[in-house]
Amino acid sequence: MDPISKSMITIFVNDQPVQASVGASESLLDFLRQKALATEVKCGCGRGDCGTCAVLFDGRVVKSCLVLAAQANGKRVYTIRGLAGDSLMANLQDSFVQQGAIQCGFCTPGMLMAAYNLLRIKPTPTRSEIRQGISGNLCRCTGYQKIVDAIEAVAKKIVLVPDAPDSMDLPIPAPTDQEKAKAGYLLLGGG
Amino acid sequence: MNEIGYYRPKTLVEALKVLHDYASRAKVIAGGTNVLPDIQAGKVKDCVLVDVTGLDELSGIRMEGDMVYLGSLTLISDLAASRTIREQANVLWQACQVFGDPLVRNRATVGGNLVYASPAADTAVPLLIMETILVAESLGKGRREIPIGQFFRGPGKTVLAPEELITSLFFHSTRSYQGAYIKFGLRQAMATSVANCGVLLSGTAPFRTVRVGFGALAPMPLRAARTEMFLCGKIPEESVFAEAADIARSELQPISDLRGSKEYRLILADALFKQALRKALA
Amino acid sequence: MSDHVIGQRVPKYDAGPKASGLLQYADDFTLPGMLYGKVFRAKVPAAMLLDVRTERAKQLPGVHAVLTAKDVPNNNLRARFGQSTDVGSQFEGLYRVLAEKEVRYHGEPIALVAAESPELAEQACQLIEVDLQPLPGVFDPAQAMEPDSRQVGEKPNNIASHFKIRQGDVDHGFAQADVIVEGTYRVPYQDHAYLEPESGLAWCDDDGTINIRVSSQVIEHFREVAEILKLPHSKVRYLGTWIGGGFGGKEDITVESYLALLAWKTRKPVKLTYTRAESLLYHSKRHPFLMEYKTGATKDGKLVALQARLISDCGAYSALSPWVLLYATVNACGPYQIPNVKVDSYAVMTNTAITSAFRGFGAPQANFAYESQMQKLAQALGLDPLEFRQRNYLQTGEAFATGWIYPRAIPLTELAQKAWSGLGSRGLAEGGRKLGRGLAVGMGSYGRLTFLHDTSRSYVKLELDGSAIIRCGVPDVGGGQGHILCQIVAQELGISLDRIKLHITDSQLTPLAGTTTATRQLMMSGNATLKAANELKKRLLIKAGQLLNVPMENLIISENRVEVGSEPKEGVSLVEVINRLSAEGEELFVEAQFNAPFTDIPASEVLRGQTHPDFTFGAYAVEVEVDEQTGQVQINKIIAAFDVGKALNPAIVEGQIEGGCVQGVGYALFEDMAIDHGVIQTPSFAEYLLPTAVDVPDITVILVESGSGVGPYGAKGIGEPPMVMIAPALMNAIEDAVGVRIADLPVTAEKIRMALARKREGER
Repeated sequence: MDPISKSMITIFVNDQPVQASVGASESLLDFLRQKALATEVKCGCGRGDCGTCAVLFDGRVVKSCLVLAAQANGKRVYTIRGLAGDSLMANLQDSFVQQGAIQCGFCTPGMLMAAYNLLRIKPTPTRSEIRQGISGNLCRCTGYQKIVDAIEAVAKKIVLVPDAPDSMDLPIPAPTDQEKAKAGYLLLGGG
Repeated sequence: MNEIGYYRPKTLVEALKVLHDYASRAKVIAGGTNVLPDIQAGKVKDCVLVDVTGLDELSGIRMEGDMVYLGSLTLISDLAASRTIREQANVLWQACQVFGDPLVRNRATVGGNLVYASPAADTAVPLLIMETILVAESLGKGRREIPIGQFFRGPGKTVLAPEELITSLFFHSTRSYQGAYIKFGLRQAMATSVANCGVLLSGTAPFRTVRVGFGALAPMPLRAARTEMFLCGKIPEESVFAEAADIARSELQPISDLRGSKEYRLILADALFKQALRKALA
Repeated sequence: MSDHVIGQRVPKYDAGPKASGLLQYADDFTLPGMLYGKVFRAKVPAAMLLDVRTERAKQLPGVHAVLTAKDVPNNNLRARFGQSTDVGSQFEGLYRVLAEKEVRYHGEPIALVAAESPELAEQACQLIEVDLQPLPGVFDPAQAMEPDSRQVGEKPNNIASHFKIRQGDVDHGFAQADVIVEGTYRVPYQDHAYLEPESGLAWCDDDGTINIRVSSQVIEHFREVAEILKLPHSKVRYLGTWIGGGFGGKEDITVESYLALLAWKTRKPVKLTYTRAESLLYHSKRHPFLMEYKTGATKDGKLVALQARLISDCGAYSALSPWVLLYATVNACGPYQIPNVKVDSYAVMTNTAITSAFRGFGAPQANFAYESQMQKLAQALGLDPLEFRQRNYLQTGEAFATGWIYPRAIPLTELAQKAWSGLGSRGLAEGGRKLGRGLAVGMGSYGRLTFLHDTSRSYVKLELDGSAIIRCGVPDVGGGQGHILCQIVAQELGISLDRIKLHITDSQLTPLAGTTTATRQLMMSGNATLKAANELKKRLLIKAGQLLNVPMENLIISENRVEVGSEPKEGVSLVEVINRLSAEGEELFVEAQFNAPFTDIPASEVLRGQTHPDFTFGAYAVEVEVDEQTGQVQINKIIAAFDVGKALNPAIVEGQIEGGCVQGVGYALFEDMAIDHGVIQTPSFAEYLLPTAVDVPDITVILVESGSGVGPYGAKGIGEPPMVMIAPALMNAIEDAVGVRIADLPVTAEKIRMALARKREGER
């Protein structure tokens, strides 16, 4: 029963297995940027204060600097590039572009993930709920307003499916389109 | 040399064995929202990180009779989205809405929030005034129940032995109570409490039961026992609140730090306490 | 000409690549075999540096270089900070690459390490030993100016620069005043807090040229880096990346001199990216200012005199402090007509963090003071604050206190009224909170100082298939600095945006366009690109006129065609015109240069005449709710009204205003950089708090288009001005709500609550 200070792990990054040796204290963020070369995951602070490194892990959007790489061994992690084929993410990306929500763009990957997180749980949020939904992500350029506009524009395209649950004691579903439909809503319109 | 090891037990038994073997060298990691920043700041050294996130059995919300059971690894976002918690433990539910931010809530666990023992921890005051029982397990001591009032020992300090793991917690439903949790941070999200206050009330004319807790106003989350005694049996009115707030202030020992001076914290304690009472009664 | 592209909300050139995650920022780029750089820094604020021993660090396997001051060919540069014009020693400063003989501030770089991993580089730093003899630190700028104060650097009395404005006779002016108000204001450090920390990667070519791929607002720093290495300027090349936020913080050299040294010594690629803590602790900040103001007005509400003394803390090296001070001095009176003015300003060196450029560049500091004064005067006179300001706005054709007669529109009356009425009906505060409203106006310059003789160049080339290439060395911080050039070319040459390729920020292959600072790129590179596009357009129209047998004046270019204006069906494709020109040997490219208005270099510290190409004017009206029990401020409404000349892309313009406003909200209410004996106490975003999305409301932006700007199509610059006047607008609203005025930013809840407690004590 020896602890491991350096070990070979495999993380499925955007469905591609990435195998690398990691130190016990190495973060998932470092793994993604340095081992998986998923440079769309940004490092703005490395300690959970800015949200630029958000990814979908274990079915939830989390700050990857707050997860040990070892904790993701054998698991699936999705970045915005891996979700580009997902209609919700594609709609969000397009909306960010159209609404002028991107200035320097460094917060954008994390913001997109936060928006994705929000709309999966709460498909038709108010503007105030959108602001809550991205409140773990800093942006220094936009003043947040056009980001809120962009998320709102996507939310307006979402139509609720009647049997949507209004509360969850269950873990949030994984990010496939089928499962999203199960979670209670559909996206209208193309990406 | 800064040697950090990692171990990921697959079962609770295995986890307890690892904790027993490494004892004070072991450091439990779950959501990692406190541990990772500490690693980055160089505060975690020469230890074995025991990753308990593989222990699915430690996660979940369950109700039996009027008792609510939480696995220690239950995520804050699950508490915040739970109808059970909203209805049976509304003060905790309120605290989970203002905990950190949505992405941190997706990773942070209730057990981790308690064990890290920050005086400002958002779940601590609600769980304190709900008189929560924490269940600790270890090979050496077996299973023991720790009333939350005896759990905290100071900033970052608890009564847990190095080999012990908090596996679950439980409390009575507070459905019949009125409650409120008020957090004051320097901004509206990703904020650490400068001060926070929770109250639980039953019977309002006069008060039958009153429980009052404060966070970030003493070396550990605190029950204001004398304030509670004073309010018991009193009729809710502003003059009573004012007198109660004076007593509450005398029970607190805030410090000055970057977020606020001791003097300001006492002012906040007064304001948040009255706000919490009014909100609970509303 | 119709505005088919100009004036439209088209997505930015870089937005798609950024949304997809494909765009590579500075730290996203790697080269095989690259080393990792690390900076070893001083842990005391003031000391004699007796010895630096690096042997143990050098012996660590995997460490390729450990450099100290003696390894730097030219360690002490008399820097002009990117100016190509010699404007005199008052504007020069010492740029010291690595500490030598002395340590002047906590965090001053002492040694550089290049190693095979970041961890090794860190370990090597821990093996570096220094012998220091501590010196008493000088931390207070007002004290630092005293004759008996220890000299921090090379400037006598620690005064790095001093400026004056003298107009009329202030004693005479105050004698005429019916009301005089005085105030002392303190504004704090502010960190740029761009989300991309400083980063770059450098490597040597086979011919010894050093390439630096770096996130920088100023690719012209290749000159300074070459001088540090004693190389010809032609042997250092900057490859600027798309920048993850700048705000002036990537205007000075950040990591690139270190990278160049390490790559040059090791002949290997070297990457250096700061951690957030390094960025927060060690890069330049906004200048704290101490401002003493005295302002007098007659009872009919006319300003008659203003006297001000401004002291800025410029830290241990002067960096851009003289320039910032000059801007603050020019801004000291605001956009008001005041007959008698006396301003003295000083930039003072201390053993604290370096302060330099930050969005607003001295204007927000002065604005907080003069707009607080205007509010106090209005109260003292019993006048409505809007009305009082309106009686004193500078009018077109009147002179600033520097004597520059301003020739363009100053629609402040309209802006203030639109902002104020935009607040709508006054609501009710909830839950025992108090509602308050406030207004502030102001101005911000765009374009660099006119005596710097600023220029920009841009190259536009047509391809045979009717697509186009732009080459322009314009760093893009995210404000559309690069994109807008595409919009200009699309507008002028009728080429759709998706057929235009843009090359930016290669200091050797793109024409130098100057710095992305001073809100200058739209005016400078926009005009240069417009000039190039217009020259090409002329060639196209002449040829099309010949082909169609129509006078060129009757032709328009639109959607990849040249058409007869009156008969749109009659026309010829751009491709055909281009191919005919090509076949005849005509040049299908133009490189154009735009020169900003030039003025003479100031002869003394007294500022006279025109200093800037132009100003942008704006107003904010805000409504807040203040909790009297906790002091907490909630912003309900913000209305912003700016004269932008012409909005070439309204979405981008609004984005600048919304973003600048929120950065200003941070400055006003949230960002509290604690500093103790020269040591910054806020090393993370958990202590240095930026506003989040839930801390600010939606901002209503009102764009006024006077068409009077000196940018292309009459546009004005809008990058910095929105940062300028939000802090006093908030303070004025807070005072309106709860009756206390705080004279030192940030206005935290604690300061408000404690002021309320003192007020109640006083009333008792």
